[in-house]
Amino acid sequence: MAVQSPLTRKPTLAVFKFASCDGCQLSLLDAEDELLAVAEVVDIANFLEASREVRPGPYDVTLVEGSITTPHDAARIRRVREESKFLVTIGACATAGGIQALRNWKDVNEFTAFVYANSEYIETLDRSTPVSFHVPVDFELRGCPISKTQLLEVVTAFLQGRRPNIPTYSVCVECKHRGTTCVMVAHGTPCLGPVTQAGCGAICPAYNRGCYGCFGPMEEPNTAALSAWWKSLGVDDRGLVDAYRGFNAWAAAFREASDRHEAAITVRGASA
Amino acid sequence: MHDLVVIDPVTRIEGHAKITIALDDAGEVADARFHVTEFRGFEEFCRGRPVWEMPSLTARTCGICPVSHLLASAKTGDAIMGVQIPPTAVKLRRIANLGQIIQSHALSFFHLSAPDLLLGMDSDPAARNVFGLMASEPELARRGIRLRSFGQSVIEAIAGRKVHSPGIVPGGIASPMTPETRDRLRENLAEARETAGDALVLFTGMLDRFDREVRAFGSFPSLHMGLANDAGTWEHYDGHLRIVDADGAVVVEGVVADDYRTILGEAGRHDSYLKSPYFKPRVTPGDDPAAGTYRVGPLARLNVCTTMGVPAGDAALAEFRERAGGVANSSFFYHYARLIEILSATEHMQRLLDDPEITDQKVRATAGINRRQAVGASEAPRGTLFHEYTVDGNGILTDVNMIIATGQNNLAMNATVLQIAREWIEGPSIPEGILNRVEAGIRAFDPCLSCSTHAIGQMPLVIDLVGPDGETLCRVRRD
Repeated sequence: MAVQSPLTRKPTLAVFKFASCDGCQLSLLDAEDELLAVAEVVDIANFLEASREVRPGPYDVTLVEGSITTPHDAARIRRVREESKFLVTIGACATAGGIQALRNWKDVNEFTAFVYANSEYIETLDRSTPVSFHVPVDFELRGCPISKTQLLEVVTAFLQGRRPNIPTYSVCVECKHRGTTCVMVAHGTPCLGPVTQAGCGAICPAYNRGCYGCFGPMEEPNTAALSAWWKSLGVDDRGLVDAYRGFNAWAAAFREASDRHEAAITVRGASA
Repeated sequence: MHDLVVIDPVTRIEGHAKITIALDDAGEVADARFHVTEFRGFEEFCRGRPVWEMPSLTARTCGICPVSHLLASAKTGDAIMGVQIPPTAVKLRRIANLGQIIQSHALSFFHLSAPDLLLGMDSDPAARNVFGLMASEPELARRGIRLRSFGQSVIEAIAGRKVHSPGIVPGGIASPMTPETRDRLRENLAEARETAGDALVLFTGMLDRFDREVRAFGSFPSLHMGLANDAGTWEHYDGHLRIVDADGAVVVEGVVADDYRTILGEAGRHDSYLKSPYFKPRVTPGDDPAAGTYRVGPLARLNVCTTMGVPAGDAALAEFRERAGGVANSSFFYHYARLIEILSATEHMQRLLDDPEITDQKVRATAGINRRQAVGASEAPRGTLFHEYTVDGNGILTDVNMIIATGQNNLAMNATVLQIAREWIEGPSIPEGILNRVEAGIRAFDPCLSCSTHAIGQMPLVIDLVGPDGETLCRVRRD
């Protein structure tokens, strides 16, 4: 008797966008030659048709870009989850709330009033949150933007029925692979590399800059040790708050580190 | 014309373009509006951050044209430091912006618009996309993908990464270009140029078939604005603001970016996140800013310049003007202008890569904070982009304003939607096929919004038809 394996039909792939810059889903287009190959093995259902009414789920694999910032989106992501067997969030917005999560430390009403003269029509949640705050997520692919290679690895791993092989070590390992001299040791340039997850290929140190944390915190980062090192290079608490509050500001390890330094400013301010 | 359309805030849908078409008492189309409701709040959360990190922060506004924000922001940073950056850094930034113009325009033409143009506006939506194009026109689709990929590789080569590149910084460029990189780019440039030329031939060959679109897809007199150098040559990085009217008369020239407020006002509409800049001298305070409508982007840049500054580009510009009958006032010609810009960009890039200075090691100036306020402008693929920062003595931003290209085209996009609505809508219902037309009309502007950037799918769109009392008569939507 013939048993239908899940792969005897083309698996369906869907892409959904929430609040974001679109840079991550464009990585799919940057996959040039691979794009043709991907189109052959998966049915890019929702990206193609973009109409849930006509082509309802379930989708075999769903890529979600962007953070949740409105009540409408909070409801929409729950529907997306219901329609998806394997849900992968892609990029700093979807996995950590993105750059727009910087508003999580501010009063959102003051915010909209500042940018738009008539803000009563702006309907927004007071926080920008990652998708995993709202629904269970099967895999989180980091990066601002994500790496094309890692995205292809995730899709391939899914097609092969295995766990994606995405390293959780720090950017430092990639500098070693690349043969880049440590910018912090050699030049005294503050660098987030020791606490940031690899994935970008350690671009910034190769370009004479310190890492600024595009891929978010690595597994078990030692932010206290890094902060102490930065302070020895002359960076104050204010500078550390800014450093941790980037594109992955709302990721737990960076959020806690930034809050710690902000509290230090407040305490000093009060005692001064 | 009837009163402003009132939109129920409950119906707003983030990440969707939303269009409201208002009917008057006689049931005729009175007004049309294009709204965008996504809110991220960059201008607020950039306050309190150091000017040094602004290129990296603001690049995240947009993943399609992050280089534009990197450049406008880095230029503002240069001005705040009060430095003139090394000549090679200017040239490298120029190459990066040309790469960006090529990749973004290629995306707009081959991935987004070619399916409409080549497969037909009424063809099966399931195949009217880049994959459908791959099936029916595999060679063209492949070349288009490679052209975009070339533009992206230029950005990566100069600035380290295709999207959100770390290599463009206040003071110049983070790392010089190696001779190997230069040689590789030069090698690949010939194919890009050939593809651009062939696409231009393909497009002009089918232009006659789009007579109705040329006439009805946003064809109206307006001002056009872009950067141009002192001789009136096409610019994308430096130069001054230049504005021509619908007949080609020069209305403004030689205005430096710092003085943009003398010519541009910003109207915040109550119904959209997109602010609507307008040409101030033509609008009486308190009046509808529509009188100050101007267009930016490829169409406008070709209208304001006197020459592309390169031979093949100039030949194409001459033909463009002949076909348009002088100034191109039809928004459908945005597609045409985009292809001419790709071709010209390859020529300009060739010159820069052939320059012996291009691999010079001096690419970054350093300085502290020497000015408290500055404006940086550059031409993004979609039009002039302004960043304006005010900083304290430590370089911490106290005020930020960003004027994006798509916002500047907002009034013109409204006029386009109105024109399409009048051409297609009669009575209190929305006819089949209008979604495609409106989508294609807006897409001519290549607006940098979540809606236009659902690259492989269709633009998610909601159209409301609203009666004179504000009641929604009919709604069509596509998620």
